[in-house]
This record gives sequence, C-alpha cells and structure tokens, in this order.
Amino acid sequence: MKKIGVLCSRVRIEEKLILQRLREREVAFEKIDVRKVVFDLAATDWSQYSAILIRCLSQTNALYAARALELQGVTTVNSARVIETCGDKILTTLALNEHDIPNPKTFVAFDKESALAAASALDYPAVIKPPVGSWGRLMAKANDSEAAEAVIEHKLSMDGDTPLYIQAYIDKPGRDIRSLVVGDETVYAVYRHAEHWITNTARGGQTTSLAVTPEIDQLSRAAAEAVGGGIVSVDLMEDTDGRLLVNEINNTPEFHGAMESTDVDIAGKMVDYVLRISE
Amino acid sequence: MKIGIVCSRVRVEEKLLIAALEERNADCDRIDPRELHIDLAGDQLSEYEAVIVRCLSHTRAYYITRWLESVGVPAISPHETVRVCGDKLLTSAALQEAGVPNPRTKLALTPDAALEAIEEMGYPVVLKPLTGSWGRLLARVNDRDAAEALLEHKKTLGGYQHSVVYIQEYIEKPQRDIRSFVVGDETICAIYRRSDHWITNTARGGEISNCPVTPEIDTLSRTTAKCVGGGFIAIDILEAPDGRLLVSEANHTPEFRDCIDPTGVDIPAKVVDYALKIATENGD
Repeated sequence: MKKIGVLCSRVRIEEKLILQRLREREVAFEKIDVRKVVFDLAATDWSQYSAILIRCLSQTNALYAARALELQGVTTVNSARVIETCGDKILTTLALNEHDIPNPKTFVAFDKESALAAASALDYPAVIKPPVGSWGRLMAKANDSEAAEAVIEHKLSMDGDTPLYIQAYIDKPGRDIRSLVVGDETVYAVYRHAEHWITNTARGGQTTSLAVTPEIDQLSRAAAEAVGGGIVSVDLMEDTDGRLLVNEINNTPEFHGAMESTDVDIAGKMVDYVLRISE
Repeated sequence: MKIGIVCSRVRVEEKLLIAALEERNADCDRIDPRELHIDLAGDQLSEYEAVIVRCLSHTRAYYITRWLESVGVPAISPHETVRVCGDKLLTSAALQEAGVPNPRTKLALTPDAALEAIEEMGYPVVLKPLTGSWGRLLARVNDRDAAEALLEHKKTLGGYQHSVVYIQEYIEKPQRDIRSFVVGDETICAIYRRSDHWITNTARGGEISNCPVTPEIDTLSRTTAKCVGGGFIAIDILEAPDGRLLVSEANHTPEFRDCIDPTGVDIPAKVVDYALKIATENGD
C-alpha cells in the first residue's frame, strides 16, 4: 500500500492542518523533514510514495527535491516545472505572456544603462523586483530615475550577474486579490489590504473576504494552467481601469491569513487533490 | 538569412565563429546582452533566423535562450540544453533517465544530511556546486575532517544553491579525461585532457591531445547530447578503472580554441554550418 508524503521543513499552521486532514481521511501518510533527506539519484527508495506534497519553505529545496523525486517516478505537488516557473518572475511573466494572460508590462535587462532605459520606457514609478525571492523582499518602487539608478546599483553590487526585472507600477486601490487554485478549481479569493504598495500578508497586509467572480475564476485558472497547474496561489491586481492583471504566482501558498476571511476548508481541498492525483 | 551571435566579450571562439559566418556570406550581427532591454511582451530578436548564444554568464544564456524560445527563434544551444547543462542535478537526472552511465550521485539539502550521505558513499567523494564552471569550487574529499570543513564553508557561502549539496563518487581516472564535442547529431571530435591534478579542466592548465572518436565515445556522446537538449555541446567523459566510460558533465557554451589543432577538426565551421542549417529550416 503506497502512502502520501508531506515534505516540509518548519511545520506551520498550514502544514498542521494538511497533516490533520490526511489523518481524518484515514490514508497512509508520512511527514518528511526535508532537512534529513538524501536523494540517491540511482536508487528507487522513494517508490513507496504515491505522491508527495511539497511544503518546504526554501524554494531551492522544493525545486531539487521535486526533480529528484520525479526521477524516481514519484508524483510531486507541485511538479518541478511548476516550482521552477513560479519561483522565477521572468519565467512566470513569459509563461503568462505566452498564454495571453494580462499582466503588467515588464522588461528584463542585464546592465545598469539598459535597465534604466527600460525604466524610462515604462515611465516612473517603476517597480524593480528580484527575479527569484518571495515575501515581498527586495522589491523596490522607484519614483524617478535617481531612485532607479541607486536601486539597480545596489542590486548589481549584491550580485553582478543578476538579471534586472523592471515592471510597470500598477496604481492599485490599496489592496490586491489573492486567489487559490487547486487543480482546475478556484477555491477562494480574498482581498489583501495595505497602506503600503506591497500588500503581502507577510508584511502585515489584512485580508477580507471576496466572492470568486467569473472573471477572477477564469483568470486564476488560466494563470495556474499557464505555469503548469497543481496547487498555486495567484496574486491579482486591479488597475485604474478596473482591469485585473496577474502579478505573481506562488507554488507553496500560505493560507493562514485567508482562513480568517473564508470558510473554505483549504487544507482539505489540497489534501483531496493530492489523493485524487495519486491514484 | 540573418544570424545573431550573443556575447558580451568577443573571445577567440566568438571571433572564429563570426569569421566562419562571414566566409559563408551569412548576414551576422553581434548582440551584446548588456545592451538589451527585453520587453517580455514584445518581439525583440525575432528578425533572426537563428541565434548562437555565447554568453560567459550562464544566467544570461539561460534567460536569453528562454526569451528566444518565446519569440520562436532557434538558439544554439537551445534553452533546454542551457537549463539542463547549467545545473548539475538536472544533468545527472537527464543522464540517469536516458540510461547514460554516470558516476553515482546523491543530493542532500543540509550539511548534516550531506555528511551522512558522504559517509555512506565512502571516501573519497567529490562535492560540486550545482552551478558554475571552469572547475571552480570542485572539492575532492578524502576524509571526514575535510567533509566537515567543506560543508561548513558551503553553508557560510550562503546563496540559494550552496545549501544543496551535490555528492558524487570519485572516479579514479588515468590522469586524464575525455572531452567530446557534439554538434547536432554528430560527434565532431574528442580530446584528452591530461593533468597531474584530479581536475583536468583546461581552464586549470590541463594539456590537450587528440582522442580518436571510437564507436563507444560516439554513441555515448550523441546519447548525452540528445538527453540534455541538443545543440553544440562538450561532454566530459571519465574512464573508470574497470574500463567503463562515465559521463560527468555537459557544457552548453564550450570553449574550443585549443581543440582545433590537435583534432584537425574545424570546430567553428561545423557549428556555423549547423546554425545555418537550423536557420534554413526555421526560415522554411
């Protein structure tokens, strides 16, 4: 009898709930500490798992664990491809554009002068983001070329090889929308409010409930599909014309903030999806 | 026919490629990645029938080839090759899936787990950074003291990828390794790289001589090239004491200036003819 694995590092509220739902479903499962695992690339020692839900905090660990597990034929949620695409904003934007999904205009450059040319082509304010990273870290809103120049210089002095990701600033109404897609279902959507332009809940944004409109539903599922499906959260922004734009997609969604504003059993939905695809 | 060649520095290799393109009367532009600002919803570079990507930086090659894929321009080497060859775990996984013999490899995500994996594999082992080239930061680990010290250094180095430890069995090779060059579906030549140091990389002073392309080297090289994504690739092959040939790495932007004379093969001509063939197929 094969079992379900949950690969995690720290067990947060999300992981506790996921493990609890697995227990309630009375299926064989195991919590696996990513810090203890070793993957032997020539072995098949993970074949007792029918599927593994990847919930580790480190994007790098998630990606390599997924690839090593796939090598042994174990289904992972999410797949290595989804993790790779969501973990990299350049890959995400390209995937969205290739699927004609509305998103903010974005440039990539590899040099200060070219990056500044991109920022002026977008007009200020412009947002400069690290292509790899999460929780809103190192995101910069540059209101003029002096700020852009200073930010770019700092980024390049941290890592001279970093690509520069420069995006049009969207003047959103003090909030953004986060939806969660599980398989082909948009299971919830919430507003995240913040005075700050970064509405990330990890930075103190408050959530309120929001009905999943057909537009949110369609856009969220299309975005999830563009990056390869699975379980992902989608950040949407409303621009000044009321249009919805996809901002980012997260492959290890946190949902403790959303739990305050939705009655949906999020962990249960996730677990049922993993059970479904493990068959 | 318009061919682009992406490079920030024009080294000997790029000069030779440009000269070969000019000899064939191909319309060739050098594209400096530092001068690009790519609108990710635009169609920049789509006027090229094919682009030879020769960036020193793996990161730049990675994103530029991905971009070229998005606008439908074939890259040499293609994005998949750059992606897989640029990451040792992805390379090992691709080799393993294709059944290509390669050294035994383990992956651990913390120093403690890594130490356990190393002890289980037995000394000596080789630790390699997942990304990087020219033999940098390769470590041959002969005992536990060395393992402990290196794992602590890796941890302190920080960065995303140093937290992942790639552990490989050490192959006792005869003071040389083999590097073969594949262009498209052809193994065009191979060299021996000889060195007293266990790292036989020519960037570290390895000495080069011709290595005849045996049917075994040919098959192994072409199978490897195919499983990592194809294009223009150099493949590093180790000779194990039992005579087996093991593929250790594949390189998506090989240097070749010192391999032309020993092998007598006009490598840039082969690459350019391949690029022109791809460009023609794309134009049709």
